[in-house]
Amino acid sequence: MIVTTGLSKDYGSGRGLFGLDLEIAQGEVFGFLGPNGSGKSTTMRLLLDLIRPSSGSARVLGLDTRRDSLEIRRRVGFLPGDLALYPKLTGRVVLDYFAKLRGGIHANEREALVDRFEAELDRPVHQLSTGNRQKLGLIQAFMHRPELLILDEPIAGLDPLVQQSFHALLGEVSSEGRTVFLSSHTLSEVERVTHRVAILRRGRLVVVDSLENLRNVAVQRLEIEFGEPVDGDEFRTLPGVKDVQVVGNTVTVGFEGSADAVVRAAAAHEVRAVRPREDDLEDIFLRYYREGPE
Amino acid sequence: MSWPATWITLRLRLPAVLLAAVGLVAVMAAVGALFPAVGHTIGTLDLPAGVANLLGGADYGTITGWFRSEIAVIYGPLVIGSLAITGASAATAGEEEDRILALVLAHPIGRSRLIVAKAAAISLVVLVIALAVWVGLIVGVALGGGGISLGHITALAVQLGFFGLFTGSLALALGAGTGRRSLATGVAAAVAILGWLIDSFAPLAPSVAWTKYLTPFYYYAGHDPLTGGVDVVGLVALGLLSLLLLSVAMIGFGRRDLRA
Repeated sequence: MIVTTGLSKDYGSGRGLFGLDLEIAQGEVFGFLGPNGSGKSTTMRLLLDLIRPSSGSARVLGLDTRRDSLEIRRRVGFLPGDLALYPKLTGRVVLDYFAKLRGGIHANEREALVDRFEAELDRPVHQLSTGNRQKLGLIQAFMHRPELLILDEPIAGLDPLVQQSFHALLGEVSSEGRTVFLSSHTLSEVERVTHRVAILRRGRLVVVDSLENLRNVAVQRLEIEFGEPVDGDEFRTLPGVKDVQVVGNTVTVGFEGSADAVVRAAAAHEVRAVRPREDDLEDIFLRYYREGPE
Repeated sequence: MSWPATWITLRLRLPAVLLAAVGLVAVMAAVGALFPAVGHTIGTLDLPAGVANLLGGADYGTITGWFRSEIAVIYGPLVIGSLAITGASAATAGEEEDRILALVLAHPIGRSRLIVAKAAAISLVVLVIALAVWVGLIVGVALGGGGISLGHITALAVQLGFFGLFTGSLALALGAGTGRRSLATGVAAAVAILGWLIDSFAPLAPSVAWTKYLTPFYYYAGHDPLTGGVDVVGLVALGLLSLLLLSVAMIGFGRRDLRA
């Protein structure tokens, strides 16, 4: 559905996107993650030919993003991260306009989306809350039943009920074999809806994998409660240990691979309790954002 | 060409344009009604040549001079130029700065088609204002006691319309080419105002008199449409320049990145 080859956009001073190689399959819900300025929106704008690459290329729906841009945009639904609509016009007029730019859509599809999101169509856009404007953005992205949805921060401003409705819609879209490429800062959303994720940092791809695999390679932690204070340095030099925290009689050791060395070192003291602690999703992503295992 | 894009651009500008059109007609009616009372009293002002040129001769003693000084040289081009320039820059760079254009261009519409659609909308704005000037002149001249033929009134409205097309096209090219609304508005307005100043002052100094031919104002009013009728050369020049600027807008917009 989407294939990028060395896709780059250099804005200078180290900003932009650099050498992105990515493949997203049909029917996938693919999460694109990274801190602000990491290149997520730049990638999406490149795919839609809103900006042009400094080098590399991309294909969407098997079509070249430069040469076949019109056909791509006909078959893709897009929600920008910084959504803005004509403030003086009502939602209905705005949606009518976008539908006409597409040469018409099925009215039933639009009405179903309006009902699903309980969107307000008869008030000027400038009178709508952020969430209600975002609903209009989602409706225009979905209303022509696109084969591919490119959604930049789609749940920004939506209340939890609408978020739930949106996630259900993503599930339906995916089950119909349509593809979703979304960026998000909301880890619970990523965990709930995506099949695979890519993490970008400073314009470079750090990792592409399923959440399950990311969890498997995460750092494991053991929280060990001793009968007396223990020096943390006894653990810091052990093979595989990444970090050690000491609070009172409790030592928390983060390590990769086997726990054998940690357990043996702990056994030299009176151990009152051992509690395993998994990295949660936020820990995993923050680690990639900050230091990024290359 | 995309009619939906033309319509939405026009719709966003319609309230201001209709208000300006009604205002123009009202002002010209008032100007015409004032002439019998004060025109003969003022007569031809004794002003330095440059200042008199700025005011279209400052001949307030005749109805033609009255309307030339009040409407043709100042008020008409000011209104049509302002609406064309602000409309064109808002429809291109304005929508881009407001982040609306990125969503529009995520739809299946080519950049050149979008620019042509915007140009068509601005042309319709210009047409409405030129029509208002035509109607206002007819009403104003009638209230002033008559004295300008319908042909000459029409000539002024047509020349003014082409002046509006030029200023709008200039702002369109700048807005589409740079994505910067203030630059598009400022430069286009500066070109229009400088043109008026140069066209007024340049003839006073023989060595630089030729520079008036470089100004759009000369091709609009250089041959005084209220007495000379339509100036075909002026219309062709303004028309061709507008088409050239439209091409520049399409090429410039097609080649660059949309601003974030």
